[in-house]
Amino acid sequence: MAIVNLKNVTYKYPLTDAPALSNINLEVKEGEFVAIIGPNGAGKSTLCYTLAGFIPHFFKGELEGKVEIAGVDLKSSALNEWVRNVGLAFQNPFNQISGAKYTVFEEIAFGLENQGVPRDEMNQRVEEALTMTGIRDLADRSPYSLSGGQQQRVALTSILVMQPKVLVLDEPTSQMDPIGTREVFGVIRQMAERGMTVVMAEHKIEWIAEFADRVVALKDGKILLQGSPSDVLTSRLLSENGFGISRYTSTAREALKHNLWPKHLHLPVTLQEAADGFGGKK
Amino acid sequence: MHERLSFYVKRDSFLHRLNPLTKLTLAFGLIFIAFFSPWYWAPQILFLLAIIPLSFLGKVHREYFSAAFRLILPAAGFLFLMQAFFQPIGAKAIFKFWFLDITPESLMFAFTNASRIFVMVSSFTILLLTTHPSDLMSDLTRRGLPSQFAYVIISTIQIIPQMQAKAQTIIAAQRSRGLDTQGSFLKRIGALVPLVGPLVFGSLVEVEERAIAIEARGFTSTRVKTSLREIPDTSFDKILRWFLILLIIAVIAARIWL
Amino acid sequence: MKIEIKDLHFTYPGGVEALRGISLTIEPGEQVAMVGQNGSGKTTLVKHLNGLLQPTSGSVMIGDWDTKKVAVAKLAARVGYVFQNPDEQLFSSNVGIEVAFGPRNLGFPAEKVDALTKDALALTELSDKTSTNPYDLSPTWRKMVALASIISMDSDIVIFDEPTTGQDAQSVARIAHVVAELKKRGKTVITITHDIDFCAENFERVIALSRGEVLLDGPANAVLGQEKILAQTYVDPPQLTRLGKRLGLKKTVRNQEEFLAALKK
Repeated sequence: MAIVNLKNVTYKYPLTDAPALSNINLEVKEGEFVAIIGPNGAGKSTLCYTLAGFIPHFFKGELEGKVEIAGVDLKSSALNEWVRNVGLAFQNPFNQISGAKYTVFEEIAFGLENQGVPRDEMNQRVEEALTMTGIRDLADRSPYSLSGGQQQRVALTSILVMQPKVLVLDEPTSQMDPIGTREVFGVIRQMAERGMTVVMAEHKIEWIAEFADRVVALKDGKILLQGSPSDVLTSRLLSENGFGISRYTSTAREALKHNLWPKHLHLPVTLQEAADGFGGKK
Repeated sequence: MHERLSFYVKRDSFLHRLNPLTKLTLAFGLIFIAFFSPWYWAPQILFLLAIIPLSFLGKVHREYFSAAFRLILPAAGFLFLMQAFFQPIGAKAIFKFWFLDITPESLMFAFTNASRIFVMVSSFTILLLTTHPSDLMSDLTRRGLPSQFAYVIISTIQIIPQMQAKAQTIIAAQRSRGLDTQGSFLKRIGALVPLVGPLVFGSLVEVEERAIAIEARGFTSTRVKTSLREIPDTSFDKILRWFLILLIIAVIAARIWL
Repeated sequence: MKIEIKDLHFTYPGGVEALRGISLTIEPGEQVAMVGQNGSGKTTLVKHLNGLLQPTSGSVMIGDWDTKKVAVAKLAARVGYVFQNPDEQLFSSNVGIEVAFGPRNLGFPAEKVDALTKDALALTELSDKTSTNPYDLSPTWRKMVALASIISMDSDIVIFDEPTTGQDAQSVARIAHVVAELKKRGKTVITITHDIDFCAENFERVIALSRGEVLLDGPANAVLGQEKILAQTYVDPPQLTRLGKRLGLKKTVRNQEEFLAALKK
């Protein structure tokens, strides 16, 4: 059952000539984890903002085609209602702190206050969300005293507590150090395991290979390629079009020329696949 | 600096337990009386009979007196001097400095004004020391203040330390490119140009992203909002507010008829 | 220009002791990567090199200049520092003026400023964008402008603070190319980075910091193979190094060429 439906979506930012998105056709099934990859400027953020409703309602501009999530059409929706279905988290954790609240607990409750949730239910849901994402110990701290990784986890929890149907993540670990990256992907992994529908733009190929059910490669606002991680991340089209690929893949491809990688074997994306393939050769 | 994002000091006191609107009314009441009563000594009386007792009632007397000595008194003192010297009222000078003089009238004027400002800032200080900004805004929003307005006030208070930190980074970056931030006054003015641009642009980007983030959290929802923290509004609060309003009316009446 | 750090201690005003006795020498022309978790002291250390921070005790010598005695604006002639966020320094209305800002501050004659600017723009592939407003460029290209504006200062030592954060593959390749070119010109290049693959493929010497002290310091192959010690400061070895270890290769490899060569044996 497709919960996200994009048909022939084309979008131009205000005062620009070239479309940022061209003829995007994308379906996401409930519970699927879709990763969006592409060079900077390919339209990843634009696609994320479109799914989250900020295009066209916040950024204006010309949006053509159909955007439908959970049966609701975007153009005929108000943004403040659309956000009930679609949660958004983006790169900079600091800018996602509301600035209106003094503790992490209150920060997470902020979205529920806006939704008019009764107090008892609010307390319960925030407690559950804190436990779910493993940040119970941060509850009484000021959001501004946290590390980047901690702030990003708070931001994610603040969105998840609102129980969106679809979660959109725009390069959530781009500004994290390795620890922060691990912490944030830990939370994302939990969401994926619980069956949350996720669309995530990312550069970190190794993580994508681990989580994604499907990978969509964007270039110049168009979908270049989509399919399973194994197929997309090892496709030649990626390196030919300036995408970053896993070093395991590129090394295996080079190794193939020197007969150091078994010919019949699919190119590796993860460490395990590479070790298996090269290992057998030894 | 990061942890202390506002003046609010968490304590259990009479003032802390009052409803935020009550405290706001109290602060405005004091200011109104200080400015509009027809008696010269009103500000000073208010200070002794209202401000000082309130600071004790709120258990924030230490913080208040510290702020009063370090900031409010010097500021009021400066204002006093400026007005004493520059107000062109009165004919006979009792003190001369260069081309500036003080007359009994300008002295009185300056003293009155400075005292009123002193009472005003003190009222707000005690208000901010005993009221959780988030509570104040939630309460006002519940009573009809547009949430956008409330949000701008709160986030500005919190963002100031962050902007300071950002400015420091920008200064460091430009110094690393050879920008001389010491040296002559003129040079230092010129040095501001490469500092202002990044600060403004960076802040604008942050403002936009934050707007998106709070929109994503339903901030502009038209549904009725609830609040996590319980903000009590007792009958005592209501009576006190009415009392203050009556007091203000009485002061206006006194001014008209006296 | 040699960098000599002697028993450097630094405590922040708030009381945090960020550097606890660091002694290092960096010879002219070396390519050094500093790795370690946030809070290990990398940025603090590197900020001592151009005088932004002053030692609480110990000394930092840039050539014959003691950083305690030379102003930051003057040290900029010898040490160029590329900050992580380009938006924290870009202010001009066009790229050309922005890139010329540094050399002009250093007091170079007009022809030299022009020549250095042109060269820096060419190196960062910005020659065709000279009259563009930096803020009209994408964040990726703004990064290049920030790089160019430090390169144009032609300092012997260049420091990069997290140059590849948020950059896509093509941009990382461009930055790697800049590093290689600087190496050819005999510049000392020091980088702070979390991108361990970028580090492995472009830097000869790796210094791992942990809690204000040097944990490891040596040739890249030697340091990057020490998985357990690196884990103390939350650094994972590069992808191919890990693969090599998994396959039981004797030598520690850090890039594709080394890996394939080791595999052939």
